[in-house]
Amino acid sequence: MPGIWIMAALLLGVAGAAIGFWLARRRQRSLESLRSRLVAVTQSSRQTGDNIAHDLRTPLTRLHADVETTLRNEDSEAHRATLERVLTEIQGMQSIISALLTLGQAEAGGMPVKKMAVNLSLLLEEILELYGPSAEERQLRLQGRIALQIMVEADRQLLARIFSNLLDNALKYVPADGLVVLSATAKGGEVVVTVEDDGPGIPAEMRDRIFERFTRLDPSRTPSGGAGLGLSLVKAFAKLLQGDVRAEASRLGGAAFIVTLPAAAAGVPRPVP
Amino acid sequence: MKLLIIEDDVAAANLLKRGLEESGYAVDLAHDGEQGLKQARAGGHSLWVIDIMLPVRDGLSVLKALRDEGKGTPALILSALGKVDDRVEGLRAGGDDYMVKPYAFAELLARVEALLRRSRSSGGGPDTLLEFADLKIDLLSRTVTRAGQKIDLQPREFSLLECLMRHAGQVVTRTMLLEIVWEYFFDPQTNVVDVHISRLRQKIDKNFSPPLLHTVRGSGYVLRVEA
Ligand SMILES: Nc1ncnc2c1ncn2[C@@H]1O[C@H](COP(=O)(O)OP(=O)(O)OP(=O)(O)O)[C@@H](O)[C@H]1O
Ligand SMILES: [Mg+2]
Repeated sequence: MPGIWIMAALLLGVAGAAIGFWLARRRQRSLESLRSRLVAVTQSSRQTGDNIAHDLRTPLTRLHADVETTLRNEDSEAHRATLERVLTEIQGMQSIISALLTLGQAEAGGMPVKKMAVNLSLLLEEILELYGPSAEERQLRLQGRIALQIMVEADRQLLARIFSNLLDNALKYVPADGLVVLSATAKGGEVVVTVEDDGPGIPAEMRDRIFERFTRLDPSRTPSGGAGLGLSLVKAFAKLLQGDVRAEASRLGGAAFIVTLPAAAAGVPRPVP
Repeated sequence: MKLLIIEDDVAAANLLKRGLEESGYAVDLAHDGEQGLKQARAGGHSLWVIDIMLPVRDGLSVLKALRDEGKGTPALILSALGKVDDRVEGLRAGGDDYMVKPYAFAELLARVEALLRRSRSSGGGPDTLLEFADLKIDLLSRTVTRAGQKIDLQPREFSLLECLMRHAGQVVTRTMLLEIVWEYFFDPQTNVVDVHISRLRQKIDKNFSPPLLHTVRGSGYVLRVEA
């Protein structure tokens, strides 16, 4: 894990340096050297391989070229436009760093987990309601088949992050006119929540790898595109809650993400706070 | 109005000071916990911005000490992600709001203004009727009218509008809306909030004039009558 911390620190430094450098209109060298240091550090980090280097180097390379070109230009409108793009790139890198830090923390067990009785059925209905308008805007049908009164002993924020990541993916990867179904049941001591769709699905050989950091089926990267960390977070959070997640082929024709969680210990279900 | 920033990263503190000064506030700076405690005790501040990780004495213990002395100045707590990333601890120590670094300045400014406004308007009973321009909402009967005409809102749209009305004239960020209306303390990436807002806007602005609900680029939303 220390690799990630070093990298995160470096990257923040680079992002800060990029703006400072731009404003000062000099120190081209320092960005260049930070960039090669970053590449060196990330490439030497075995656990995460070349992917991180690639993922962070790509926006840095774009930043570098953008700033360099703009510096040759005296037009203040162009400067403004560049600064706005720089800001977008930095925000993208910040969210990668945040996700990596969160992942590191979750996997090392250093993340505070506030378990309490949560009415999962209500929480899922709320999340459907949160995503409903966005799904409609993308011309997707979003349906819920949620059994009533499913209780789990879990952290509400982590649960919400798990399902919001899965719905976020469905909204991104299922083409217009598609169908997305969120279903939940409790059987015995286990709660099963499935987010499935009739989109392109995940090829069988990728169904395990897709949960690894930076794995994306479409490796092209755009400033607005995802980093490939969402499913890694889902996995880490599910494990923190003593559950798990796996990918399968859905009966609907696309991907099915199946989250299992332990049901709350039997007894009188307590109301959700 | 004077604010106190207790933050050991001098460069970050200076940037923050400059930003807040440009927004019309006077700003005192302290770079460690002990110094911050002294300056806060000396008084005269309408709000404290306190970083948790501070040299000499950490931010939470500074705030606890101040609260134990009965000082009620609103406090915004800053925490670095992956450190004491615990909003509950922060709020328990007496914080009124909590932000994780790195944050956008626009986000911090919106929260500062919300806290200042909250502390100014506290006291008096809870409002059950909120009004802005010709828009009225009744929190008891949960009804909304504009120019006397009844508007039907979904429960969540109602809560969104209530939140915007409570902060009328001030920018409310997406993150603040997610926290207040949905109680989610993370960023769900997709533009989920924007879509809810645009539905609300359809209902309260489309058939009326002037438009009241505005988008502030790179920041959030605000209810105001534009000049
Ligand atoms: N419902 C789905 N249908 C088809 N492909 C999917 C689906 N969900 C995820 N994928 C594939 O899995 C990859 C990894 O997903 P993951 O959520 O980890 O990353 P991301 O969405 O690319 O980026 P991030 O979530 O970090 O913004 C995606 O890039 C996409 O190719
Ligand atoms: Mg994703």
